[in-house]
Amino acid sequence: MREALIVSRKFSLEESHTLAVAQEHGAYKTLKKLQNLSPLEVIKIIKESGLRGKGGGGAPAGNKWALMPQESEKPSFLAVNCDESEPGTFKDRQIITKDPHLLIEGILLTCYAIKAIHAYVYIRGEYYQYQQVLQVAVDEANAAGLLGDVKITLHRGAGAYICGEKSALLESMEGKRGHPRLKPKQPEPEWYFGNPTLVNNVETIASVPFILEHGAEAYRSYGTERSPGTLLFAMSGHVERPGVYEAEFGVPMMEYINHFGGGVKNGKKLKAVIPGGASTGVLTAKEAEEVLLDYESLRAMGVSLGTGGMIVMDEETSMVAVLKNLLEFYHEESCGQCTPCREGTGWVDKLVGKILDGRGSSADIDELLEIAETMNGKTICVFAPAVSAVIVSFLTRFRDEFEAAL
Amino acid sequence: MMVQVIVDGKNYEAEEGSLLIDLLIKEQIKVPYFCYHEALGADGNCRMCMVEIAGQKRPQIACDTLVKPDMEVSSKSEKIEKVHTDILELELINHPVDCPTCDQAGECSLQDFYMDYGLHESKVRIEEKVKHDKHVDLGANVMLDQERCVLCARCTRFTDKITHTHELGIIGRGDEAKVSTMPGRKLHNPYAMNLVDICPVGALTSKDFRFKQRVWFLETANSVCHGCAKGCNIYIDHHKIKYEDDMIYRFRPRRNDAVNGFFICDAGRLSYKLLQNNRQTMIRHKDEIISEEKSIALYQSLLKQYKNSITVVIDANLYNEEIEALVDYAQRIGAEVCAPLECYDDTEFADTMLKSAKRAANYEKVVKMGLDRTMPKTSGLIINFNHTETFYAEMQIDFSTHQRPNASFILPIAAYSEQSGSLTNEDGLVQMCEKAVHKNSPSPTLREWLQKVGL
Amino acid sequence: MSFSFTKANLERIEVLKNRYPSTQALSLPCLWMAQYQEGYITLDAIDVISETIDVPAMEIYRVATFYTMFHLEATQKKRVLVCKTLSCKLCGSEGILEHLKGHDVLVEHVECLGSCGTAPVMQIDDVNYENLTPEKVDTILEALR
Ligand SMILES: Cc1cc2nc3c(=O)[nH]c(=O)nc-3n(C[C@H](O)[C@H](O)[C@H](O)COP(=O)(O)O)c2cc1C
Ligand code: SF4
Ligand code: SF4
Ligand code: FES
Ligand code: FES
Repeated sequence: MREALIVSRKFSLEESHTLAVAQEHGAYKTLKKLQNLSPLEVIKIIKESGLRGKGGGGAPAGNKWALMPQESEKPSFLAVNCDESEPGTFKDRQIITKDPHLLIEGILLTCYAIKAIHAYVYIRGEYYQYQQVLQVAVDEANAAGLLGDVKITLHRGAGAYICGEKSALLESMEGKRGHPRLKPKQPEPEWYFGNPTLVNNVETIASVPFILEHGAEAYRSYGTERSPGTLLFAMSGHVERPGVYEAEFGVPMMEYINHFGGGVKNGKKLKAVIPGGASTGVLTAKEAEEVLLDYESLRAMGVSLGTGGMIVMDEETSMVAVLKNLLEFYHEESCGQCTPCREGTGWVDKLVGKILDGRGSSADIDELLEIAETMNGKTICVFAPAVSAVIVSFLTRFRDEFEAAL
Repeated sequence: MMVQVIVDGKNYEAEEGSLLIDLLIKEQIKVPYFCYHEALGADGNCRMCMVEIAGQKRPQIACDTLVKPDMEVSSKSEKIEKVHTDILELELINHPVDCPTCDQAGECSLQDFYMDYGLHESKVRIEEKVKHDKHVDLGANVMLDQERCVLCARCTRFTDKITHTHELGIIGRGDEAKVSTMPGRKLHNPYAMNLVDICPVGALTSKDFRFKQRVWFLETANSVCHGCAKGCNIYIDHHKIKYEDDMIYRFRPRRNDAVNGFFICDAGRLSYKLLQNNRQTMIRHKDEIISEEKSIALYQSLLKQYKNSITVVIDANLYNEEIEALVDYAQRIGAEVCAPLECYDDTEFADTMLKSAKRAANYEKVVKMGLDRTMPKTSGLIINFNHTETFYAEMQIDFSTHQRPNASFILPIAAYSEQSGSLTNEDGLVQMCEKAVHKNSPSPTLREWLQKVGL
Repeated sequence: MSFSFTKANLERIEVLKNRYPSTQALSLPCLWMAQYQEGYITLDAIDVISETIDVPAMEIYRVATFYTMFHLEATQKKRVLVCKTLSCKLCGSEGILEHLKGHDVLVEHVECLGSCGTAPVMQIDDVNYENLTPEKVDTILEALR
């Protein structure tokens, strides 16, 4: 597997979070390039690079940037999503602690392209110690006069997974409960206090400096045609060397797990892999052997790539217990706004709890699938559909385990 | 611009860009819904109002769908009915389904819908449901049953957007979310009881009405509130239990976008009690109950005795027709007429929503007719038609709906709820009130009295 | 007992007011400040925040009850947040939770703390303690006493 370090290039340096070390290794060089590039030209380069959002959805970043008005009476904003609460995901945290200046550089480039005057970084409340590292870096960059006219404000969340959803994030940043908003009828920017706003994941923004420095083609030289570039893939669970390791899209999943992770912990056999954060479904060991790590290959398997945070499970893991654990998470984290999700998450949690306790019946499995159907495609945000897909994914692949538990 | 829309194969006209759910409501095309309310707008949280729209892969909520030309909507297909049933079923998961003991039974959307969809039992056993408080006194006569609540947020939107008093909120998250006031605080706005009507289920009930009557026994008449000159439209809900008298159980707001919209104030809502209590039922002279015949003779002799020194006093709560008849009558008997208004001015009562400082229902009629609005000047005979003020004269005859402690000669008359008539509200709008209550032994109406005493 | 922001916090609030399009955005920052000042969020504090940023008290209260990191009740004990989500569970969080029963602390079972690669994890006073073993828990809690 070839090395592909775009975002994590400086991670292993001593004191990599300081301005001095970062600049020694080329940070902020791209800002000079902006003198010869118009905002629209920057957006064009991002579009050409094929950069896809790394917060889980994989939406083409350039298209989203292009929705931002270049001429507007209202101020434009950038909101950088560092809510990182998807179980199995701990990559943005590496960026803000190991190379915060890369993120700041990306923010400045992005703000230039979308003509934003102020960037907010929404950081989950539990990351306060990491937020402080980023704050020091922002202050350093500011003191060094690097920020120019752009303001950067770190905004602390307070414990709510749903605030990672972009419209809930903006609601939360407006000082409200993190309730996702109703979807707009046509493509448009997000809105922060009625002002056009772009929401991107930390890693998406941190990928921008490389693209502007080396060009769209250089970025495309990594990854696949439709999933260009790299991702801070990660592993946790039953694996020898868990952690975040950047790799290009399209590498075989098992090769990644064995190469970086040293294979399944304690020499046990693999049973299943959750491919990219809790909400992406589950793969059997056999499927994991076959699949490549890119959006299209995973989609073809009926799961998704998500954030690339793989959770590895060995042969002794009970899939019923795993599903119960995940459903507890969703039960706890549903914002409670819409009926199918509020009531559904609680009910599926109870049903699987019943099965896990050995009190279940085959009717319960049918009902689980029925509720999953009701939770799919009928809610305000995609939280409930994701839960639905998780249930279906576990029940189709490991139905025998559920039936054995009845 | 009006455009054509097809719903369930039929053509309808609707404003382009208006909400599809408004069309469904207007045309009485039944889709279940909880959170949408025409006065509060769309919130999109209940997910019940799903319809199929040609060209869209997924069902859409009608409350967040804008009407487009030639849109094809299906509200009744097998697929969409299944969606409705499934979501409703989830709604019932944590709902106690205690309709037999629920005050809202008969006016509950949840009950309506689940009957429509043939769902009778929730799959969840009672002991497994998420438990909440069933008897929360929110203040202002409003009781909350958190278990029956479907979290549609209508009530919180009411205190946020309509009264701007912000007492209610949904607190907590997920299936632990519930409606609440702040700890130790209560509802404190003069429109709070509208919450009872706004709540689509039996979660918010009126302490005043609770358990007094099952709603399906009630009969309803259209009327207008007499609490002030605004003329808010109301329903008078009344019922006659066998062997007892016809009784009013409550007033409810009746929608009229030109006057009160969907709401009425609590003072007006509760004014039915004053209307009903301490009624005058007998004809009395001094301390004696006298017959109608005798009273008419006495009345006529007093008229003769005080000829040229008589004032007819008109209460500004009487119907247009009554006031006109009285002015006419006074002219015939050569009496002065006045309709004192000052005592009805109450700036403390007034606000910018509905409540008017003019606390008499027909204030405007008196002004329009140019009647003398001061207190009576004659000291001879005063014939008072239901004015509540105290006057000074040698002799006074009171035609009165209610008891007057020191009246020397008092004749009972029917209240506005016991006859029909019209009122002119402060904006000059003339509105009809229907006869609601049929008393076992009704008092004559004012106009009947005028006939009896000889017009 | 009524609440007021410290001078330093009042200054911070003034600075923050210039960094957002509306003062309403300050509800989370203010709730955090109040919580650090008092250890939890009192109703008095909610009223003060409401006045400071011109947002109805109920709105602040609703917000405070939505986010799991805001506490509306006081505790004398140390709050220990233990992750119970999947990666930590696969790596032994249940043993840590069991072990913590022997300590006089307030254990909160929380969802993924973003330390899945260094599981199991607990958080005390905003600091993550990772790769936990029962022995490590003892040492950490001892040091924090
Ligand atoms: C329930 C839910 C949780 C999410 N959590 C996160 C998150 O923690 N971080 C993130 O960057 N995106 C998250 N997203 C995706 C965001 O809505 C949004 O698409 C993303 O931040 C856009 O940035 P990107 O295009 O750069 O990925 C979440 C989405 C949903 C539906
Ligand atoms: S789907 Fe769930 S998380 Fe999303 S808005 Fe509805 S209740 Fe909230
Ligand atoms: S109390 Fe009634 S109006 Fe309020 S949220 Fe519950 S169901 Fe809706
Ligand atoms: S009425 Fe449309 S979602 Fe509730
Ligand atoms: S699962 Fe425990 S930190 Fe992520």
